[in-house]
Amino acid sequence: MPPIQHFDTLVVGAGISGLQTALDLGDQGYKVAVLEKDASIGGKMIRLSKVFPTLDCASCITTPKMSSAAHHENITLFTYCRLSDLKQTPAGVSAKIRRMPRYVDSDKCIGCRKCEYVCPVYVPDEEQGGFSAKKAISIPFSNAIPQLPVLDPGFCMLCGRCEKACPTQAIDYLQEPEDFTIQARTAVLTTGFDMLPKKKNVQFGNGRIPNVIDSLQMERLLAPHGPYNRVLRPSDGMEPDSVAYVQCAGSRDKQMGVPYCSRVCCMYAIKQAMLLSGSLPLADITIYYMDIRAFGKGYEQFYQNAKAMGIEFVKAKVGRIDQGENGNVKVRYERQDGAGIDTASHDLVVLSMGMVPGWDPAGVCPVSTDTDKFITSVKPKISAVLTDMDGIFTAGAAAGPKDIVDSITESGTAAMEAANYMAGLPGEVQ
Amino acid sequence: MSSKANKILILATETCAYPGADSVGQAHSSYPANTYILRVKAPVLFPESFYIDCFKKGISGIIVMSCGEECPYEGAYKALADRLNSVYQKMKALNLDLKRLRLTAICTVCNRAFLNEINQMNELVNKLGPPQPA
Amino acid sequence: MMKENDKKVGVYICYCGGNISDHVDVEAVRNRVEKMPGVAVAKTNMFMCSDPGQELIIDDLKSGKIDRVVVASCAPSLHETTFRGAIERAGANPFIYEHANIREQVSWVHHGDPATDKATVLISAAAAKARKLKPLEPIRVDAKKHAVVIGGGIAGIKSALEIARNGIEVAIIEKTGSLGGNLNNLGRLAPSGENASDILQEILGKVKAAPSITIHTGCEVTDVQGYVGNFTLDVKGRTDSFKIDTGAIVMATGSVSYQPFEGEFGFGTYPQVITLPTLIEALKQSKYQTETGWFEFGGKPVRNIAMIHCVGSRQIPGIHEPRENGQLNEYCSRTCCSAVLNAANQIKERFAKTRVVDMYRDIRTYGRGQEALYDRASANKVVFMRYEADAMPTVEKSSTPDFPLTVKIKDGLTFNEEMDVPADLVVLATGIEPSDVSGLASAMKLPVGTDRFLLEVHPKLRPVEFPVAGVFLAGTCQAPMDAGEACNAAGAAAAKTCALLSKGVIELDPFVAEVNPDKCQGHGNCVDACIKEGALKLVDVQRGGKTVTQAQVTAAMCLGCGACAAVCPEKAIDLNGWALEQYEDMVDAIVAA
Repeated sequence: MPPIQHFDTLVVGAGISGLQTALDLGDQGYKVAVLEKDASIGGKMIRLSKVFPTLDCASCITTPKMSSAAHHENITLFTYCRLSDLKQTPAGVSAKIRRMPRYVDSDKCIGCRKCEYVCPVYVPDEEQGGFSAKKAISIPFSNAIPQLPVLDPGFCMLCGRCEKACPTQAIDYLQEPEDFTIQARTAVLTTGFDMLPKKKNVQFGNGRIPNVIDSLQMERLLAPHGPYNRVLRPSDGMEPDSVAYVQCAGSRDKQMGVPYCSRVCCMYAIKQAMLLSGSLPLADITIYYMDIRAFGKGYEQFYQNAKAMGIEFVKAKVGRIDQGENGNVKVRYERQDGAGIDTASHDLVVLSMGMVPGWDPAGVCPVSTDTDKFITSVKPKISAVLTDMDGIFTAGAAAGPKDIVDSITESGTAAMEAANYMAGLPGEVQ
Repeated sequence: MSSKANKILILATETCAYPGADSVGQAHSSYPANTYILRVKAPVLFPESFYIDCFKKGISGIIVMSCGEECPYEGAYKALADRLNSVYQKMKALNLDLKRLRLTAICTVCNRAFLNEINQMNELVNKLGPPQPA
Repeated sequence: MMKENDKKVGVYICYCGGNISDHVDVEAVRNRVEKMPGVAVAKTNMFMCSDPGQELIIDDLKSGKIDRVVVASCAPSLHETTFRGAIERAGANPFIYEHANIREQVSWVHHGDPATDKATVLISAAAAKARKLKPLEPIRVDAKKHAVVIGGGIAGIKSALEIARNGIEVAIIEKTGSLGGNLNNLGRLAPSGENASDILQEILGKVKAAPSITIHTGCEVTDVQGYVGNFTLDVKGRTDSFKIDTGAIVMATGSVSYQPFEGEFGFGTYPQVITLPTLIEALKQSKYQTETGWFEFGGKPVRNIAMIHCVGSRQIPGIHEPRENGQLNEYCSRTCCSAVLNAANQIKERFAKTRVVDMYRDIRTYGRGQEALYDRASANKVVFMRYEADAMPTVEKSSTPDFPLTVKIKDGLTFNEEMDVPADLVVLATGIEPSDVSGLASAMKLPVGTDRFLLEVHPKLRPVEFPVAGVFLAGTCQAPMDAGEACNAAGAAAAKTCALLSKGVIELDPFVAEVNPDKCQGHGNCVDACIKEGALKLVDVQRGGKTVTQAQVTAAMCLGCGACAAVCPEKAIDLNGWALEQYEDMVDAIVAA
């Protein structure tokens, strides 16, 4: 790989926002580099089951965008790469990047998965919520782009079977990280979000109660290509008869350090509840909530449909969650009408965990973040994509929690601002 | 199942009725499987002989699912309605039950109307059996 | 039976990760399809849309095993372009492709053997059509590097500015006398308190400085002719009418505030019942502080304000009464919760003595900084009461002389008790309704949703596009949005406009009528049947040394409806990609099963 590469725009993060930004710039003829820390592009969206309010399968909406970005003549993808430094230069921006070793030669690999089939080591598959296992060398997930396996050196026992099985001699146990530089005229930060970890929440069991899962884990249970191919609870594989959602588990909560609303949890909980009532028609589904925030186009109608389907909405704040008997989960909640504190037992509890930033620029890039630690938007009304650094823009959940629809339109604006910045009329109209 | 032999052909416009049928699918609403949906830009493409030939080939019923007044091709809907009127004349001459051919408008979210049309036609063709043009 | 021809069809059947394979026996379908005439290859994959799935097609095309492609998967609206793209990457013509919809129209609606049988039949019909497909070349049309933005609110201004910065000329057409739209009526904006007028001033300054933006105020678009790259708009001004030629159109026709009907929460019955826009205007006009320390409205001190959320929004059939035209606004208006809290905070922070009671269903402070607004309202001692949709508060004349009005509410935050809240002023948080552009939308063939907002192609795949090529949408004509969200939508629409127009040439689908000169006898039936003026005409051509009259298609004008194909006695004209003879073969395949 050449040590210095030149592009018009560097997009940091290849989730739905980054992909849309890259596509909208590429379609205008700009050369775009897309940087992704994971081994596949697609971000959080490709890991979801179905998406509200249309209930399209997430894969079906994301894969076309992933695929067109991967094949776009103006877009180059850099996956499994870490950004170590991003700064302004007189010509635009300069980024120092480290490509992490996959221990697989990407030029030689043909994606046949023979290495994966022969590997004797099973490791927990985080892509499946940790519920199932994958091999120590494997392609991240079925529709990953690129279709390149990654070897996990933490688990690999260097038995050599994959090396022998590989028809193209692509396995390279001695592969080293590779450093290179990307110089571009502009950058767009689309670094997305992470889910607040369960272990942060002491009252809700620190992540130690087996049948208390988070919403991304439930996405995997509901996905057609999920770990069990159906919804089972993790502790004993039982089909749950009673599932509860705890809303604002790590949002609107100053004690947890997340005072803001995470914006998507109401809708994804309703969506999951609807999908659950399809796959477990006899199960009781309860959503404990403070306010249902169904604010987007078609969202309120979606919420009303869920109510009509018999999903129970309980206005209450859950205070504590404990392990009950037979794997059940005890939920203590305070009813909002003042009627006091109640306890209910559920087979499975889903925590609607809040969103936290997917990236901390500290030490990498001097772009400002707000008190919520998301990237600061200096003109939230006229152009929410402007940061306090000239020529560096942001879009999607990197600049605060956002749903897919809002992320996609914001990415269009980021592409437009970056393009116009490069069109070079700054003195005239900006 | 008697409906297996009774095939219903559906000509569905790509801007209205065809996505309408997809919307029924997204709602997972079941309907008889003897229905074959062909995506068309505008049903005005089909001459009278096409419909008559279908019946002669053994299609039991045809539903033309158009966009109705929402037709993206201005003027095409009227031409289509006129066309079907003359198809009805020919059907009469061949002693074919006129109810075997139906023109209707289905929008992209008209799930109930879609299911209604299909169930009605299915009932009819199950009663009448395959066409026997005179 | 099917006519033999030498085309080699590759059929690819998708499992869709269980979406299809749970109901259709995909391998059984594959086995049956493999034996069909003309089918050279039949394969299955977990996700045909994934890269490995697409590689199957590319490899088979490249190796020459196949020269026609059928993919059986989800609805063509999702992945037809994906697979045409894959074919192109294999170096083949993308139009040798036919799609079989076996998810939305089979596995999601049928089960068991009938589902498997129907999937087989649909694939066999698609393969029959595929054998008759021929390679097509896109039609290239010169595009005018000019865009028209309809609507001069914040979304329209923002779109116009971004398009102009990209070097494309823009005309803004605004029906009122000035730009700025609803932002002209707002004061300090939620949640961070910028002044609406400052924002407008800043962006309008840039618009006025941009030499390539022309502004037409007091003008309305009455009709739109033409096609992508080459539209002509009829514009009616106050005194004159004129035409504008343009390459693309952005609909930014905006929204209006919901107007309560007579008697709705006492509106129109009691002068003390006002709408949120009226309160915002009063706050803009009011002195920063008053001598009495109370907020004053209409010259009178206001001791108690009751604010009622969701007026004209979140209406539920069977609970709320539809208006005369049968309309119910089932949607959430998105902006009112923050706007109400913003106004409540302004009142409490300036006139601490005035008591504010906020009556809500759900507080929807979803956006960045909005939850802090809610926290601040609680800290400011705004009293919250919660009501249910089926037990709406009522506004009545007070039975005591102290206050003019009483709001009766069953409060869900205190044991669902019936409360009487005395009030000097009742503010109705009225929602957003789309501006009525039904006339223009129907003239332009733009879809409108059941909520009466303009309807995009797909909220995630193509959120700012219409099915009519070259027409985009931005802002609150699509759905309720705040100013920042409207600007985001506007920027996205501008990006699509620039991508379309920047090259000056647009490629169009080749699905147009084509005349077979060997067969055409020049009867002219097709010209009479054609619905698009100028698309088809009879011309004299030289053939074999003789002058003959034949039909001729102007491809860029042809709509591709096929009206011509139905009436030709010689079958000398047909529709490329959707040919009559292809349908005849599909019917044969269906009846043969």
